[in-house]
Amino acid sequence: MSNSFRISIGLSLLMLFAKPCLGASIESLFHEGVSAYGAADYERAADAFGRAAAIQPASGTLQNLGNAEWQQGQTGPAIVAWEQALWLDPFNQSARNNLRFARKVAQLESPDLAWYEVVSTWLPANWWAWIAGLSLWLAVAMTLLPSIFRRRKTAWQQAVAAMALMVFLLSLPAHAGVYTRSHIGFIVEKDTPLRLTPTADSQNLTRLAAGTPARWERLRGRFLLIQTPEGLRGWVEKSCLSAMGD
Amino acid sequence: MKSKIWFLGALVCLLLLLAASRAGAQPAPSSQDPLMNLMLSQPKIDISSPATATVEFEPPVVRPGDEAVYRVNFNALEESVAWPEEPPTVPGLEFQPGGHGEIFQMGGGVMQPRTSFNYHVRAGAPGEFVVPEFSVKVYGKPVTVPAARLQVTSTPPASVVPARRLRVEVPGTNLYAGQPVRARVIYAGPPGSPVQGLAQVQLTGQGFIVDQSAVQQRISNVPRGRTSAPAYVYETTLTPLTAGPVSIMAQGFLAGLHTSGPVVITAPGGSQPITIGGGPPQYTLLDSDPLEISVRPLPRRGELPGFTGAIGTFAIDPPSLDTDSVQAGDPVKLTVTVRGDDASQRVVPPPPPAPGRDWQIFAAMDASGSPASPTSRRFGAPGSSKPVCASFSYTLIPLTTEARATPAIPFSYFDPGRGAYVDLTIPPVTLTVKGGVASADARALTQREPADAETEKEPTLSGLASAPGLATDSLVPVQQRAWFPLLQLAPGAAFLGLWGWDRRRRYLERHPEVVLKRRALRGLRREWRGARQAARAGDTSRFAARAAGALRVACSPHYPAEPRALVGADVLALFPENERAGRVGEVIRRFFAVSDAARFGSAAGQADGLLALKPELDSLLARLEERLRA
Repeated sequence: MSNSFRISIGLSLLMLFAKPCLGASIESLFHEGVSAYGAADYERAADAFGRAAAIQPASGTLQNLGNAEWQQGQTGPAIVAWEQALWLDPFNQSARNNLRFARKVAQLESPDLAWYEVVSTWLPANWWAWIAGLSLWLAVAMTLLPSIFRRRKTAWQQAVAAMALMVFLLSLPAHAGVYTRSHIGFIVEKDTPLRLTPTADSQNLTRLAAGTPARWERLRGRFLLIQTPEGLRGWVEKSCLSAMGD
Repeated sequence: MKSKIWFLGALVCLLLLLAASRAGAQPAPSSQDPLMNLMLSQPKIDISSPATATVEFEPPVVRPGDEAVYRVNFNALEESVAWPEEPPTVPGLEFQPGGHGEIFQMGGGVMQPRTSFNYHVRAGAPGEFVVPEFSVKVYGKPVTVPAARLQVTSTPPASVVPARRLRVEVPGTNLYAGQPVRARVIYAGPPGSPVQGLAQVQLTGQGFIVDQSAVQQRISNVPRGRTSAPAYVYETTLTPLTAGPVSIMAQGFLAGLHTSGPVVITAPGGSQPITIGGGPPQYTLLDSDPLEISVRPLPRRGELPGFTGAIGTFAIDPPSLDTDSVQAGDPVKLTVTVRGDDASQRVVPPPPPAPGRDWQIFAAMDASGSPASPTSRRFGAPGSSKPVCASFSYTLIPLTTEARATPAIPFSYFDPGRGAYVDLTIPPVTLTVKGGVASADARALTQREPADAETEKEPTLSGLASAPGLATDSLVPVQQRAWFPLLQLAPGAAFLGLWGWDRRRRYLERHPEVVLKRRALRGLRREWRGARQAARAGDTSRFAARAAGALRVACSPHYPAEPRALVGADVLALFPENERAGRVGEVIRRFFAVSDAARFGSAAGQADGLLALKPELDSLLARLEERLRA
């Protein structure tokens, strides 16, 4: 038996068994976090939820991570976690409610979204890509396949093609919204300095509160060029901003 | 020229006069303003005296393992002292940060600031330890903190008393978030010393609030070893806010009592007399060891309607109405009195229920008519077992004459002893509603209230999700991952293939000769290969049959006809006349003769020397193959 054959067999077995093992690990981490939260050990809860989310980001896990961070007084990481929970599942009312609560308590603003970004929040971020792909190819299939297979084009086939094309065209703005929203980030460190230039010795324009939303535009070294909802533009250290799609 | 100078001079004088008159026209600060007078009459804070530092160990001699307090005092404002964040380091001494604070002492007509920083020091082994002098900036100028000496010996002099410390006590160390408890700060002083009071007592730490309006101070006997001794007790209400471990530390300045001399209170019955120290205060900063408490969050499960954060044990008196008969549309006041174990417990009135068809209910107000707050309480109440925590009243307006009683108002509290929520719903109170018409305004309010209540609902932190929920393998959107565009190309490639296949199929349908030639080419190659194999095997008859078959197949698309239906003449017809009559024709006839004889005759044909014709056959078949490709 050749070595390459053995390696491929090993990899196949690994792929086969890794998924259930991973699932069990995530489940145990999730339950560990829930029990630690119940015992008011928020640091351990945040650690467990954070590890579970790192293995497989899930809306409920991120919501719980946000709660644990909030209980520790970590406003920035809490807001990031809840925003990511909504990014995965916009129907998660608890995460939405927690964001409202946190922003009211910490007197923070929500990100300023363009209309196509608002549209993109109606469904989970990844759904739009699948909807666009499926609707496009459905329209193409309904147009091409009858003639290829020498069938007469029926009314319903044309209706489905038109509908699919319409869905595809309507999903395009949301598609763009998902892309631009993935460039929205949140300040995670308290009193993060907003610098005039991407240098450590730069003059500080202002200090940003943890949880402040910002759009990042450019990366230079370890600094990100960001713009806040108030229109302030400047550089922050990359580690101080956590983007939605991180 | 001279007149110009005179003119300019006169202009300047005029401007100066105008400016002087405007300045004089400004109103002088009123000396009659009482607030201003009060501010001006306050003694000044002395910040001009040269800043100095004093330092001490209390006590200066300790046993190994015993604790001493390293205390540094400044005659300056605390804000002005740039105190180092790290404690001093002396080999063999362990420093733990203690309290720090500021107090003002009257002296010489000015208020002199006193700032102190405490450290708790412990040494493991005997010896003499010296904290060397160091410099601290005060008001921006360096001030030298003198060296201090601590003697650690296993046999300290009997006259040395332990360091004066405060003690913090709470009724329990396992509390719920939001559960108010009475915290006591006790200063007993050294044995035999007079009782002294404390000033600026503070409970420091994170995760709790202290109710400054619930402070009580007294001098009472507290246990000290096997006996009891008089001590100063500062009591206040502490409410933990965040769940988890909470550390509480007390600090305060030893202030003595402002009497000209000591006061001795002789207790009846021959008890030990209490001596209260007098004289000017020394303002020594004392602190306590941190007290660790564990705070649990309130359980979400079992929460009852009307829970407003009340934690403890409560009861309500029967609610009372200010009248037992009212006309529809007229307001009536419902008064509710809540009693608890401790009068200082805070109770927020429950919100009024959603307006129904019969009643319009307004939010609870306290006795003064302002919205009820947690502070609306009274201490004590005659004839009741529990003190009154809160008394509030709701204004209700009956909208119809069908109302027979006030609606029940959901209310509940959390009992920490039982660990459960307890229902304390305010019961209905019967009354008579006489005929009348509810005002249009009242009805409009009734209609609008649900919407307003919905929009004004305060967001709160939700509980935990019970399951991980909707999951993905990465937060990066799929359209920004490399595999997604490639995956989208797959159906495109499939459709492109289908389209190409359809075009080819349609082309072949229009040109059937292409199919025939292709089929003939395949057949020609097959028969030719068979002929070659037969020639190698020396099987002349099979060689002849295969060669004739190859010739038939190669010629069939040109008629078109089935290859089996063709005969030698049909094959010859495809060659020019001169070749038919020449060698080519001879070779073809020879092969067909042998093949036909084998197929249709009983005797084998003349096959001798047929194998020698193979090169010519190959050339012939190559020519026919070329024609099929054309």
